[in-house]
Amino acid sequence: MKQQGTALTGLCLTRLTVVFSALALIAGLASCAARTAEPRGEIPLNVGSLYEPQNLDNVGGGGQGATEALAGNVYEGLFKITDSGAVEKSLAESYLTAPDGLTYTFHLRPGVRFHSGDPLTAADVKYSLERILAASSKSSRKSSLGVIKTIAAPDDTTVVVTLSSKSISFVYNLGFVWIVNDKDTDPATQEDGTGPYRLAEWRRGATLTLTRSDRYWGAPAKSARVVFHYFTDAAAMNNALLTGAVDVVTSEQSPDALAQFNQDHSFTISEGRSTTKLLLAFNDRVPPFNDARIRRAVSSAIDDHKLLNAIWNGHGMVIGSMVPPTDPWYEDLTGVNPYDVALAKRLLTEAGKPSGFTFTLDTPTYDPHPTIAAFVVSELAKVGITAKINSISADEWYSKVFQKHDFTATLQEHVNDRDIRWYADPNFYWGYDNKKVSDWVIRSESAGSAEEQIELLRKVARQIAEDAASDWLYLNPQIVVSASKVTGYPVNGLNAQFFVYDIVKR
Amino acid sequence: MLAYLARRTLLLAASLLVASAVLFVLLRLLPGDAATTLLSLDADAGQVAAVRRELGVDRPIPGQFAIWLDHLARLDFGRSFVSRAPVGEEIAARLDVTIPLTLMAFALAVVIAIPAGVRTAARGRSWVLAALTQLGLAVPVFWVGMLLMNVFALRLRWLPAGGFPPDGWADPMAALACLALPVLTVALVMSAVLVRYVHSATLDVLDSGYLRTARALGASFPAAMWRHGLRNAAAPVVPILGIELATTFVGAVVVEDVFALPGLGGLLVRAFERHDYPVIQGVLALSTFAVLAAGFLADLLQRLLDPRLRRSIAGSP
Amino acid sequence: MNRTLVIGCALLAPIVALAAVSLAWTPYGPADTTGGRLTPPGAAHLLGTDRLGRDLLTLVMIGARTALTTGVLAVAISALIGVAGGLAAGFAGRLADDVLAAALDILIAFPALILALLVVAAVRPSLFATVLAIGLAMSAVLARLTRALVKGVLAQDYITASRASGTSWPRIVTGHVLPNIWPALSVNLALQLGLAVLAEASLAYLGLGAPQPDISWGRLLREAQATVFTSPISLIAPGLLLAMLVAGANLAAQGLRLAADPALRVTR
Repeated sequence: MKQQGTALTGLCLTRLTVVFSALALIAGLASCAARTAEPRGEIPLNVGSLYEPQNLDNVGGGGQGATEALAGNVYEGLFKITDSGAVEKSLAESYLTAPDGLTYTFHLRPGVRFHSGDPLTAADVKYSLERILAASSKSSRKSSLGVIKTIAAPDDTTVVVTLSSKSISFVYNLGFVWIVNDKDTDPATQEDGTGPYRLAEWRRGATLTLTRSDRYWGAPAKSARVVFHYFTDAAAMNNALLTGAVDVVTSEQSPDALAQFNQDHSFTISEGRSTTKLLLAFNDRVPPFNDARIRRAVSSAIDDHKLLNAIWNGHGMVIGSMVPPTDPWYEDLTGVNPYDVALAKRLLTEAGKPSGFTFTLDTPTYDPHPTIAAFVVSELAKVGITAKINSISADEWYSKVFQKHDFTATLQEHVNDRDIRWYADPNFYWGYDNKKVSDWVIRSESAGSAEEQIELLRKVARQIAEDAASDWLYLNPQIVVSASKVTGYPVNGLNAQFFVYDIVKR
Repeated sequence: MLAYLARRTLLLAASLLVASAVLFVLLRLLPGDAATTLLSLDADAGQVAAVRRELGVDRPIPGQFAIWLDHLARLDFGRSFVSRAPVGEEIAARLDVTIPLTLMAFALAVVIAIPAGVRTAARGRSWVLAALTQLGLAVPVFWVGMLLMNVFALRLRWLPAGGFPPDGWADPMAALACLALPVLTVALVMSAVLVRYVHSATLDVLDSGYLRTARALGASFPAAMWRHGLRNAAAPVVPILGIELATTFVGAVVVEDVFALPGLGGLLVRAFERHDYPVIQGVLALSTFAVLAAGFLADLLQRLLDPRLRRSIAGSP
Repeated sequence: MNRTLVIGCALLAPIVALAAVSLAWTPYGPADTTGGRLTPPGAAHLLGTDRLGRDLLTLVMIGARTALTTGVLAVAISALIGVAGGLAAGFAGRLADDVLAAALDILIAFPALILALLVVAAVRPSLFATVLAIGLAMSAVLARLTRALVKGVLAQDYITASRASGTSWPRIVTGHVLPNIWPALSVNLALQLGLAVLAEASLAYLGLGAPQPDISWGRLLREAQATVFTSPISLIAPGLLLAMLVAGANLAAQGLRLAADPALRVTR
């Protein structure tokens, strides 16, 4: 009995050892074999990104990642907002605005089919708009499209929308509305768009693969297969770029780490404009920041250029208000509250706080906020102001700062386009309350012409800068890095869009 | 033996149930919820309330737990709050990476540790090996990963620096190439732990009477060791292997992050960030089960290897 | 003092010295951003600078403090909860003991990482949350060990004898149990010090550790990845110090065991 047992165990151990050695051998061999493995089919275009979709639906909480991978590539709107910020007709072939500015009639492009084969009809457009306005909508455009009163589809190619008040940004806002098939599937898990690409596979946590659609109505996409590779860390994404695992990255966070490899110009680094503004947001309701002089003193005490250089190494730009240069109402307002320590001290004296004061800076724990907070602390110390860093999680920021307005000052990245309008809402978290500004913003929306809208919003931007409603530290750069054999990608990536259909790899 | 098995299984099931109930309540007591993940800063209060209602997180906790249990009884882990895909599907996709990584790393660690441990025990202390073992025990696993990546992926360009093929295991060689460095990383650190156990278990055997008897009867050292030593040495090491398999899993989670692998670790960390409770519950139920089951199997194996314990099973109430 | 203990202490000493010196002096201030962005190592900055222009040597020195603090505090928490729980289980009746043992098994099956995620989510990321999570995770292991040790001691004849002679339980605990289990416990605590330091580094690496302005070797290592080609030393230095600290703690633990149990020295 005992002998048998021993033999059996011995055998098992031998086998185990063999299996283990084999496994190890395979792992070893794989390294050599993989390098010679033939690619299957056409070599795909590999795109690196830090923004994986949360799900596939931009109305269902898909987030920045869903927009980046799918907007313009898989889904299209009636209108398209191009990489330079212009509004172009897409699925709408033409449209008419009634003289009162309240009724819009859209004629759809004929012969457009969804990837499933269903034809595009006015009912789909109506459904797509209603989805945004529905109670369960998670769309960030819900409030701006709230002016929609009725949506009608008198025939298959015509959609009539009436508004409750004039809205000059209505067509622009429609550029963010994906037209989805009105059949009964969940867009969060299954796509059915009209774009040049269809979704082939999404391996969550890793890759999302698009393949060219052969029933696309427009010019076919240039690459047959595009694979988005997702990373949680900028350094890992750089490594992928360096080793050729990805050909282009949508939003480079650490360009100088790459620069050293670029002596032979094997990479193209292009800098465009983003809409992401980094704010030192004051609570304008409570002391000491209810005093504009104090806010201006803080703004003047911080060297934004030095901060921008520390974080982005010369990329990006310093802005003097909430408007990025891609908006028509941009003007350079950096001179309103210049970096001037003497001025800051003077303003503090005027406001009755010549020896400074102490305040708590609520700082989100994720990058880049802690780094910026450390910088702000050392800058403000020069004028006698003591900032105490209070680290808070993203959830805490949302409930404490955003919802309860329980803060003195905070740091936050504001990524959305045209969010200057929040300075018109005294109930927004920063609590800036200026009747003039509210009035201008409302009038700009119902303006009769683009010139009038631009003029009014310029006044808003200047006024909030003069009041230092917040301190706009800088505008993030949008840096796309690609292998130099890759061309045709969008450089601005405005509103987190990244159109891949024109990209070619030589 | 059957009674023992039944008792252990029952205990396992009860443990899992208690663990998941505790976790369920803890998760829901934490500040924040998935609504903030799904909405942007431009969302209004009505949208927040609507999302909370849709996710069911506005209901009382006991009610939520009852629903969850009811689904679990039908082996349905529910759907992710964020991706809206079935949790089972989410987890299965990640296991493609985590299970091969854990098993291969563990196997490689055993392959390294057994000869090294037996050899040092038999031939006396080797300073080099002792130092290496100490080093292996003292370095963080992610650091080893970073060093290996910098040498073999970034400088020598022999292996990928990270990621996993978009078509998974459809091309096994490509998938294995992606796992080679992570496997090596975990295995190197893991083997340092195992060497110590193998070393001391072998020493115990060497001291034993039966081995000396076998040698006296004319068996060569390797033969005696093979027939009598290994099995006896294995008995105390096996349960440790069970525990270490669990440790390997945790090591794998960290290494997945270094090499940007789409494994269970990333899924879990992300689910916590996003308050994606169904995913967290699913992953934890699975990992707790795996760890408890590994301990159970190791226990069983040990009893099979050691007849004295087998008798005690038969005699146990 | 035996050789293992000496080597262990020799490895620990420089780290402790580094941490102690950092209390009084560092080459630059931790908030001093005048060093220039990502300056390579040189005379002015021995390890170079980070993105903000802060001196990395300064950060590494302060990191030593963080590592030691985390290690010691986590072990303290683990000891407090673990030994108390283990004693309770050891003395408890059969049913209570079974329940406690099962609870410990579950806790141990919960990977420390998950416990850390829970704690961090509950009390926001901070050094305190990290220490608490690590301490709790380790206390389960310590409780199981303590329970086993207590059972072993209680089974001894002299305990039965002193029970029979009317000694009270508290006296038995302080007079017999604790002195008997202490050597094994202290060795384990020293081992846990190393584990705690490693766990803290891993959490910080994953971005779950204490946020800035706290400084952790784990996070320095994560950030070093971005500069690995210009200054590989920023990847190597914190890692090596970490290894020295953990190896030092492990060897010291072994040395303590050898010192406590001379019999080991003969056979091993």
